[in-house]
Amino acid sequence: MNTKLKVSEISKIYPGCIANDKVSLEFGSGKIYALLGENGAGKSTLVKILSGVVKPDSGEVFLNNESIKLNSPLDAKKNNIGMVFQHFNLFETLSVFENLSIDSDNKDEDLRVLVNDILKKYNFKIDLDIPVLNLSAGQKQKVEIIRCLIRNPKVLIMDEPTSVLTEQETDDLFISLKQFSKDGILIIYITHKLKEVLSLCDEVAVMRKGKVVSVSNTINEKIESLANKMVGENLNTIKKKINNFKDSEEILKVSNLNFKSDDPYETNLKDLNLSLKKGECLGIAGISGNGQNELFQILSGEIITEGTSIMFRNKEIGKLNPRERREYLMAFSPEDRISQAAVPELKIYENVALNNFKSSNFFEKGLVNEKKIKEHSKKILSNFSVNTDNVELKSQFLSGGNLQKLIIGRELITSPELLVCFNPTWGLDVGAINYIHETLIQINEQGKSSILISTDNDELLKLSDRICVIYKGKLSKIMNADTVTAEKLGILMGGGSID
Amino acid sequence: MSFDLNFIGILIGAIMASSVPLILAASGELITERSGVLNLGVEGMMIIGAISGFALMVVTDNLFFAVVGSMLSGLILSLIFGLLTQSLLTNHVATGLALTIFGIGMSAMIGKNFVGIPGKEFPLLFLNLKESIPFLGPIFFGHSIILYFAFGLPFLTNYFLKKTKTGLIIRAVGDSPTSASNQGINVTLVRYSCILYGGAMCGLAGAYLSLIYTPQWIENMTGGRGWIALALVVFATWSPIKVLIGALIFGGITILQLHMQAVGLRIPVQLLSALPYIMTIIVLVVISRDSRKIKLNTPTSLGQIFYKEK
Repeated sequence: MNTKLKVSEISKIYPGCIANDKVSLEFGSGKIYALLGENGAGKSTLVKILSGVVKPDSGEVFLNNESIKLNSPLDAKKNNIGMVFQHFNLFETLSVFENLSIDSDNKDEDLRVLVNDILKKYNFKIDLDIPVLNLSAGQKQKVEIIRCLIRNPKVLIMDEPTSVLTEQETDDLFISLKQFSKDGILIIYITHKLKEVLSLCDEVAVMRKGKVVSVSNTINEKIESLANKMVGENLNTIKKKINNFKDSEEILKVSNLNFKSDDPYETNLKDLNLSLKKGECLGIAGISGNGQNELFQILSGEIITEGTSIMFRNKEIGKLNPRERREYLMAFSPEDRISQAAVPELKIYENVALNNFKSSNFFEKGLVNEKKIKEHSKKILSNFSVNTDNVELKSQFLSGGNLQKLIIGRELITSPELLVCFNPTWGLDVGAINYIHETLIQINEQGKSSILISTDNDELLKLSDRICVIYKGKLSKIMNADTVTAEKLGILMGGGSID
Repeated sequence: MSFDLNFIGILIGAIMASSVPLILAASGELITERSGVLNLGVEGMMIIGAISGFALMVVTDNLFFAVVGSMLSGLILSLIFGLLTQSLLTNHVATGLALTIFGIGMSAMIGKNFVGIPGKEFPLLFLNLKESIPFLGPIFFGHSIILYFAFGLPFLTNYFLKKTKTGLIIRAVGDSPTSASNQGINVTLVRYSCILYGGAMCGLAGAYLSLIYTPQWIENMTGGRGWIALALVVFATWSPIKVLIGALIFGGITILQLHMQAVGLRIPVQLLSALPYIMTIIVLVVISRDSRKIKLNTPTSLGQIFYKEK
């Protein structure tokens, strides 16, 4: 049966921001639709409205020409609209089967048969009786998809589904999505990745600042044309010159790094060795959850491991805490901006003061030297083009991009010899990503080194001089970036081997 | 020898009786916490249950009304907690502490007129079997119906949480209220129900103290048992069966150390009195140290306020 979904004049206003401004779109089954836009363009709000999580201020949704009310997620389910959220809506401590059964009206035995049929049909391999927390991101996403499929959806909405997947997993997902589309399910695919739009989708709607700015067939589009529509201005592409550092001075050497954790959520690290030259950028690729967190924490001194030697500028620093490491001119930008790098409830200058260093004189005789901190903070805000000069602003009111600029700025203003950053552009929009990338290239040009731990392969290929992959707590061999392709990275990230 | 054996039986019976209020309150709180709500008002709800049970018994002369009334009063107190934390989104910890302080004060005020009034005899079941079978008789028979209920409760709770759909929903809400809400589960309703159930069980635990265990009203008669129950839930890593074990150890060592004091062992009394607390924690920590199980059993959202997106 053909499905037609139409949203008409949808508006949703949050205090200080128009998330959706009279959005009207039409979809029909048999096609895959892309909804493209930067962060904050209003895509997520629109899909939240379609899945009943958020109520629109005005406007209507029509399914097969009938107006439907979507007041709660239950309404969306009743109308056979399935949704896979960007941040998984799974219960980590429950088993896969429990996660599926909580949402189903079937008897457990019937459900098991149904789920096994789905697993077979789409060639998914998932153990139903292990807790979800033991699954990889790709598997978790499959659980979400199965949860939708159980209800015979007419519409399936995918919200930025590939942000946590490897290339291989992404390919698998695309195959499944095309199969669903053939089976008559209408698919709406939300993303800010342009390549995916072109390789997967039939039609694309671009959103900017809450409005739909363009609807077109993807055959008529190119990456550049979509990027310009999305950002609303012409972007210049940046490309780093890959250097050869054979003769440069070695700045960091990690040997025989082993880490064993008691925590089932964490990954053990096995026998990691790496070295870094002055002015070099070492990229570490991998699917999240393969030990990047632990590696970052060990490099930054949040975790101290026995018997591991970390030599930095000819000093053994393995037993030093993060603050002591900073004294030796290391700097760190953790993955989670909100909970690890900054305290959202604190003002900008207070967050800057948290990162105090010996020469800063932020604190004198146990007292806070507010004037000094504020001056220092102002310097960061202007040097790193954060879009405010108000150091009294609470950090939670900064957008992700501006907060990241503040954090990187806070680290770089002391001109460290080494910056370790972990997913520095995660969740940021194109403009902010460009800025951060330029900054990271700049520090290499100034002869400073960097380690870039990232799950974004394009970013790694763009910025690194050498690249390696971390998989299940082990490092692959370190390769020169000019010999590496996205395909090679994908194979290594999925546990395969090359040459 | 048969006398000694019988004495041990009686001792075990006494230990079981002393652990009943802990089992009841902890089982109730366990359900509340499994839904992600941390209610520190256990002590307050228990003491309100104790006084209202006793007062109703005196006024109506009916033990059934007394027991039901005690549960209702615990439930009402927890309803206040629910209104504050779930509807007005106040902080769980502060609200729970306030509830305890309120409960203790309120009970003392109501209880003024009931001090010194003798309690009524609560019917004990199978008394003849208790007398006629040595050793096992005093262990299994001659208890109140509430004791039997209390000892069945952890197993029921375990079954309920693991095998029923409602139990699954409660665990899901405790794991991630946002996900649950996005799946169309009414998080607030689930949490309210769990809070009210916990309140009723705490009320019943209080009534057991004032109607059966020491049938009279004494100000502050719960004597910190609510806090022990709370600690039991955490140290038992939210497992009902381990709560039962913990409550028995606590009750057991409490009774044993009293006997040791009576015998006049040359151990400082303070140390003996501290023994139940120390031993219970040690045992529970040892039996619950599987970090994987802790992760799986701990309600991830415990104590977090849930805002629904609008």
